[in-house]
Amino acid sequence: MESLETLERYKDIIPDFEGFLKVQSRPLPTSIRINTLKIERSRLLKRLDAAGVEYNVLEWYPLGLRLGPYERPGKMAEHALGYIHVQEELSMVPPLALDPKPVEKILDMCSAPGSKTTQIAQVMENQGLLIANEPSMIRLKPLRFNCERLGITNVAVTRYDGRSFPDYTFDRVLADVPCSSEGTARKDLKVLLRSGSRRSMDLQLLQVRLLRRALMLTRPGGTVVYSTCTYAPEENEAVVNQALDLAYLEQFYLPGLQSSSGLTEWSGESYSEDLKLCARYYPHQNDTGGFFVAKLIRL
Amino acid sequence: MSPSSLGSEVGSSSKARSGHKARFEAEDRSWVISLWSDRFGIPEEAFFGYSFYRMARNIWAFRGPPLPRMSFETVGLRIVSLKEDLWKPTTSAIQVFGSMATKNVVRLAERDAWEFMAGGTLEISADVEPGYVVVMSGEDILGCGLYSRGKLISQVPKDRRLQAEAGDILCS
Repeated sequence: MESLETLERYKDIIPDFEGFLKVQSRPLPTSIRINTLKIERSRLLKRLDAAGVEYNVLEWYPLGLRLGPYERPGKMAEHALGYIHVQEELSMVPPLALDPKPVEKILDMCSAPGSKTTQIAQVMENQGLLIANEPSMIRLKPLRFNCERLGITNVAVTRYDGRSFPDYTFDRVLADVPCSSEGTARKDLKVLLRSGSRRSMDLQLLQVRLLRRALMLTRPGGTVVYSTCTYAPEENEAVVNQALDLAYLEQFYLPGLQSSSGLTEWSGESYSEDLKLCARYYPHQNDTGGFFVAKLIRL
Repeated sequence: MSPSSLGSEVGSSSKARSGHKARFEAEDRSWVISLWSDRFGIPEEAFFGYSFYRMARNIWAFRGPPLPRMSFETVGLRIVSLKEDLWKPTTSAIQVFGSMATKNVVRLAERDAWEFMAGGTLEISADVEPGYVVVMSGEDILGCGLYSRGKLISQVPKDRRLQAEAGDILCS
């Protein structure tokens, strides 16, 4: 597979590289999150059981369900009524790392289509201030649609360029930044055709500015989660390394979800030893997509 | 605000001027609450912690602290749209607050519920005042319906209906 060649540059950093390549052409399992703002978990599970829906509860998150290969959750009444949200498993991780509390002030800097936003709102029990920022007008529509369907009452949507988001002091900020999306290759291999070190370097400046702005907007002691769905160290460790004058890294680990440590060197460049505290999620380790998550505490 | 045949009259007639950047302005709390209590018997307590905003012809309910000075696209949940002298509850709002309704509630059998969620019109007789109603089925609050003369017309927005057409956004 030609498109897989762009992943070859990771053969020394990804464990079981053959397994990693092999999994890319296997379809991604479908997964949903239970929206407890509209239905209790036990009631939802009872409904799925009654309808004969095939599912497994994620070991590391009781509100996440992996569905059987023939399930079509988008067609279910439970979806139309806002009881469930179709969301990739690893996309549920950054909100857990953010660990929001009700009544806090939180910013989701790159919000659309709102999967993570609505998950954060759910943990906040639908109260407090959650600003969902999304500069792209086209991407605003699915964000609004999801917030309405899921019955979200504590989200205010803004449309700023995240790099110049207006001054305010948040308790926590999620910077789930635009990236080369290599980790979504199991949904569409074509994403790999555009990826490579050059594209990643092009994205890096934007990512650094977004992360640094996120940190500037956070109170001392507050949390910033930086996440991407790519393997490229240029967009991950190299970005976080350029923000360590504003924050320190904290280890984040979910029991039951396998991850690898962040890198401390790449392509002749070396990073702070603390970068080991970042989490890399590979598709062959958990039968998922790919993700990178760094949890930072503002100095 | 006395109920008219298809909803309730709107107290204010201010309209948004086109050509200006729309802004969210604080809306009168007791008036918004009275709309919901007059029509559906939903108690004031249901709106504890919420503040209300108006932008153009929509009213929004937000459950959070005073908003920072920023330019917003949405603020909380859009709960009411204002049309001429009528107000219309959104399906989103009915799904969140409808469980506390004590009147103008229509309960459907499961077969009719699917038809309603698909956007259909049902011929049923219901003991409700003509106008917008909370539509339920079993434990589910399906959304907003319009009841008049033995007909219940689904007000569920197109992109929230079951059996949606191809191209509709159903999931992210």
